[in-house]
Amino acid sequence: MKSLRIGFIPLIDAAIPIAAVECGFAEREGLEIALIREASWANIRDKLVHGLFDASHMLAPLAVATSLGIGNAGVALAVPFGLNANGNCITLASRLYRSLEEVLGHPPQGPRQAAQALKRVIDRRKASGEPPISFGVVFPFSVHAIIVRHWLRLGGIDPYNDVQFQVVPPPFMVANLSEGVIEGCCVGEPWNSRAVESGVGSIVVFGAEISRAAPDKVLALRDETVSQDMDAIHRLLRTYRLAAHWCQDPGNHANLAHMLAQPQYLNVAPKTVMNALSGTLAISRTQTRTVTDFLSFEGDDINRPDPRKARWLYAEIATGLRSPLAEIQARAAAAVFRPDIFDAATGNNAVPEAADPIGLKFGPAFDSTDLQAYVDALTLEPNGRAGFGDR
Amino acid sequence: MADQASILIIDENHARAAIIQDGLREAGHLNVRWLNETSNLLRHIADIDPDVIIIDLESPNRDVLEQMFQVSRLVKRPVAMFVDQSDSIAMQDAMVAGVSAYVVDGLRKDRIKHILDMCILRFNVFSRLQDELHEAKTALADRKVIDRAKGILMAAKSLSEQEAYVLMRKTAMDQKRRLVEIAHAIVTAEGMLK
Repeated sequence: MKSLRIGFIPLIDAAIPIAAVECGFAEREGLEIALIREASWANIRDKLVHGLFDASHMLAPLAVATSLGIGNAGVALAVPFGLNANGNCITLASRLYRSLEEVLGHPPQGPRQAAQALKRVIDRRKASGEPPISFGVVFPFSVHAIIVRHWLRLGGIDPYNDVQFQVVPPPFMVANLSEGVIEGCCVGEPWNSRAVESGVGSIVVFGAEISRAAPDKVLALRDETVSQDMDAIHRLLRTYRLAAHWCQDPGNHANLAHMLAQPQYLNVAPKTVMNALSGTLAISRTQTRTVTDFLSFEGDDINRPDPRKARWLYAEIATGLRSPLAEIQARAAAAVFRPDIFDAATGNNAVPEAADPIGLKFGPAFDSTDLQAYVDALTLEPNGRAGFGDR
Repeated sequence: MADQASILIIDENHARAAIIQDGLREAGHLNVRWLNETSNLLRHIADIDPDVIIIDLESPNRDVLEQMFQVSRLVKRPVAMFVDQSDSIAMQDAMVAGVSAYVVDGLRKDRIKHILDMCILRFNVFSRLQDELHEAKTALADRKVIDRAKGILMAAKSLSEQEAYVLMRKTAMDQKRRLVEIAHAIVTAEGMLK
């Protein structure tokens, strides 16, 4: 038996690491896995970097930022497996949501209408000298921060000057919305549903309405581990592939919900987990919506790490910090995502790659060979523009 | 010699924060403050403007502090996590103890090391105290169950206290179980048979 210590944050997208252990897939591959629950992404990063974990559930942009030394001392990480796409929502505080309804005369339908209505509310507030709207995101380097900015631009809102961002840990998101510290947030489940249930907020956009396959959480290892123990990593990836397939199957969702809900993992009601797995969520007190691809665990597009996605993450991280792009950094980012390890472990060869690795539903086309063009198209248009065109 | 570096402790556990504060004061760090307020954390930090921030690893608020690595209008001086690359063992010790430190630019490494070492020591002292307290509580609870089980046996089988105890101990040894488990079984069974 090979022992591995794997860190995780209690979120639904930790499903694959948890199911790999609970379903016995890991044991069958001769792996004895200790899952260690953590309270913050900073803990996850530090414990991985300093060798207290062998591998970890991690925010995809954090894996890239850590490797590049952005926001901390750089330590090279490797990402051999993607754990999910989507599963997050953008939720607005009830008062702000009502302002959108007033502007439109009805509840906002779809991301574009919601963003355009928000733009009008922001303009109105600016004119009357009210403070800017603040959005809560889960970490400075998160796909959450990236997709909120992308959605804001759809309505012609400048994410750097028209609104503010602040980090709010998911368990505190509802309280911060309720107290007015933030007026909007982007977070995974169950926190959006909690806001809706308690009448604090309404969901305006699902992550799946912004992108098809933006990488959310990944499996990350120290780069040095890759050379030291390739055999164990291969076994782990085979295990995760089985777990991904099991987690994706709707027939297993009731079991998965009970598994994740246990006190040592998410410690919530199974019903709460089930909402996100089924993609049926109450988005306000009166409306419910269903999106079948609300949260995805399986697919070559999701599990096999595509270096072009790492380049996109780098471009978005740099843009978020308002730093110029550097091709050397983009290459270093791409090197973090390791399809070679995935292929060697799973016996994959020549996976047909999607033409567009991110699948953004609006905004400029993403060409991984020309990051500057992508970033320019995001930012060039002057203030007050109409927003992105349709894709 | 007194050290005037301003130290901020962020810990929701009152007892632990007090133990750390005491330890730092004894070591000559007199300028120590404690924050257990979690909302508007960055605003509070900006107002206090500390040289060193000590935060426990149990708090999700560590991720809020990460925001300070970026250019932030909220914080006056640049802050970074204390990472001594030459001494990864010290970082591991800190994380195992459950503490992390952030420092403003320009503070000397040996000074922050001294502060962090003291915090690690005190975090470990606190964990030990907590373990001891837990053990004492468990021992007390075990003792209560064993006494109840003894009473049940004495009444049911007209045994003396000594005989009841010997019977439980023998059963525990025969079944290779702990005495308290046998006691729990007796108490449970009695409840069901009532």
